[in-house]
Amino acid sequence: MYCLRVVEVNRFERAEVVSLKFDRKLRGHPGQFVMLNVFGFEEIPISLSSPDTLMIKAAGETTRYLQKVKKGDLFGIRGPFGRPFSLPAREEKSYLVAGGIGIAPLNYLYARLKEMGRDVVVIHGVRSSDEILFDYPEIATNDGSYGFKGNAVQLFKRLLDTSEPFRVYACGPRPMLFSLYREIKRLGALERAEFSLERYMRCGIGLCGSCVKSGGLRVCVEGPVFRGDEISEGDFLV
Amino acid sequence: MLEVEVAGMKLRNPVMLASGILGSKHSSLLRIAEFAGAVVSKSVGVERREGYRNPAVLNRKCCIVNAVGLASPGAEVFSGELREFSMKSKTPLVVSLFASRPDEFASLADYFPFASAFELNLSCPHAENAGMVLGVDEKLVKKCVQVIKDVTDKPVLAKLTPNVTDIVDIGRAAEEGGADAVVAVNTVKAMAVDIFSRKPVLSNIRGGMSGKALKGIALRCVWDLYEELEIPVIGCGGISSWKDALEFILAGASAVQVGSAFYYSYRAIEGIVRGLEEYLRLTGEKIKDLIGAAHENA
Ligand SMILES: Cc1cc2nc3c(=O)[nH]c(=O)nc-3n(C[C@H](O)[C@H](O)[C@H](O)COP(=O)(O)OP(=O)(O)OC[C@H]3O[C@@H](n4cnc5c(N)ncnc54)[C@H](O)[C@@H]3O)c2cc1C
Ligand SMILES: Cc1cc2nc3c(=O)[nH]c(=O)nc-3n(C[C@H](O)[C@H](O)[C@H](O)COP(=O)(O)O)c2cc1C
Ligand code: FES
Repeated sequence: MYCLRVVEVNRFERAEVVSLKFDRKLRGHPGQFVMLNVFGFEEIPISLSSPDTLMIKAAGETTRYLQKVKKGDLFGIRGPFGRPFSLPAREEKSYLVAGGIGIAPLNYLYARLKEMGRDVVVIHGVRSSDEILFDYPEIATNDGSYGFKGNAVQLFKRLLDTSEPFRVYACGPRPMLFSLYREIKRLGALERAEFSLERYMRCGIGLCGSCVKSGGLRVCVEGPVFRGDEISEGDFLV
Repeated sequence: MLEVEVAGMKLRNPVMLASGILGSKHSSLLRIAEFAGAVVSKSVGVERREGYRNPAVLNRKCCIVNAVGLASPGAEVFSGELREFSMKSKTPLVVSLFASRPDEFASLADYFPFASAFELNLSCPHAENAGMVLGVDEKLVKKCVQVIKDVTDKPVLAKLTPNVTDIVDIGRAAEEGGADAVVAVNTVKAMAVDIFSRKPVLSNIRGGMSGKALKGIALRCVWDLYEELEIPVIGCGGISSWKDALEFILAGASAVQVGSAFYYSYRAIEGIVRGLEEYLRLTGEKIKDLIGAAHENA
């Protein structure tokens, strides 16, 4: 474990999300996560949202506390750990499909793909306009308060152009990932899609076994990013 | 070439999975069982147990420090998970048990009729009223083994702690109680402090150390136990290559267990088995003839 200091705090209060920028870049890749030790609270897995930022949504005690973090606060870090997203071939168009805070790792991937000059569409689904975190053009809101009325998967189906080579990268709540998985399976394109999965994590380094999914795969090491063909439907139902 | 018989169990190779590493789900056990001689499941007690809050496992230079605190879903739920394994794999399954009193061990055996053997965790150094609290007391160790031997015909392995003045005294007590083998060792008491926040890192403050740094300590325990006991010794602690495994076998281990090495590679056991195979092919020997061989040269 090593310590990093927060140098910038960005609050998205209505979305109950905070973005923390650290004094150093983490040597990691889009899709990887760190074990963030919040002193006095718990150590939790959080995906990189850029080389030096983490975005955290309030979900429980630790993540609620994180909303109140101030510049200068110190955090313990282990990692980055896990398998990152793989990068698309030059001719492939990338569809990044995010639900809620799932935009965090995809935001990092987006930046990387743009640097490489790749063709990218980001689709971000949220419940209402309160939860929009970045001004990506393709936003879906469940209540129709902004952009497309509906969810991210419905919007993805509209935008996907199957006449050209494509890749899909996804992160979000389990039901959203499941419906996207079924759609991609229907298209026979599971090898062209990558899903970032979540499981309860203790060690983050492949020992304790708490994050194991079907096939004996460890979400903390063989994941969190899995290709569609490494996932079974049961993985969405636990 | 690699076959060994330990505590009445016939193993196709002497490399076992250690308890508490990837041993909570049948899917990871199945994956490891493809190559392992046997697998040991995560220690289980009668009741569900939360375990300690994170951070509970730390990767440090040369070692792992953990205080998971015997997190477990409890015997009833876990037996369902392990049954699934036993239906799908022929690899022997050793079920590791923990308890706070000797008689509790007896009540656990019934939940696991499909187990090939039981391993008694008399050695976890950071759980409240379980593990090492029993394992440092010769009388209690003997009692624990007796109690479970009374209710089961399956082999019983006693897993020992190195955190005692003389591990041989404890090993002898296990043997007198009727243990079919001893496993040496569980983790050494340890902790970690962060130099910037200036706080202990583990939520439980105190934990146990495993991994490479443990090897020399564990090896010495195996050596001493081999000299004094009649029953077989299973070596565990810091084994991450086939050379490490062979060292333990030469020092007297009839089999070895591998845990923390899974931090370096999911194929830790596969690599060790392949390496041992290559070595024996070169020397034209059988592994069982090498057990304790270093004692003859001492
Ligand atoms: C690989 C990975 C990447 C993640 N990336 C992000 C991210 O970038 N931003 C973000 O806001 N959230 C992320 N999460 C989710 C985040 O870890 C949980 O929201 C957080 O652990 C909740 O902690 P809590 O104490 O606030 O809530 P709790 O009340 O403890 O739990 C709330 C929910 O979070 C889950 N959770 C709690 N502890 C853990 C744990 N150790 N491991 C996994 N899940 C846990 C619980 O199962 C529960 O569903 C990620 C999770 C994983 C596995
Ligand atoms: C995360 C973790 C959890 C463990 N859980 C258990 C357990 O439940 N029961 C047990 O007998 N030993 C447990 N151990 C100890 C190991 O089985 C083993 O004795 C020890 O780690 C030394 O071997 P190694 O260096 O190969 O890891 C655990 C070790 C680690 C690192
Ligand atoms: S979190 Fe421990 S194995 Fe993945």
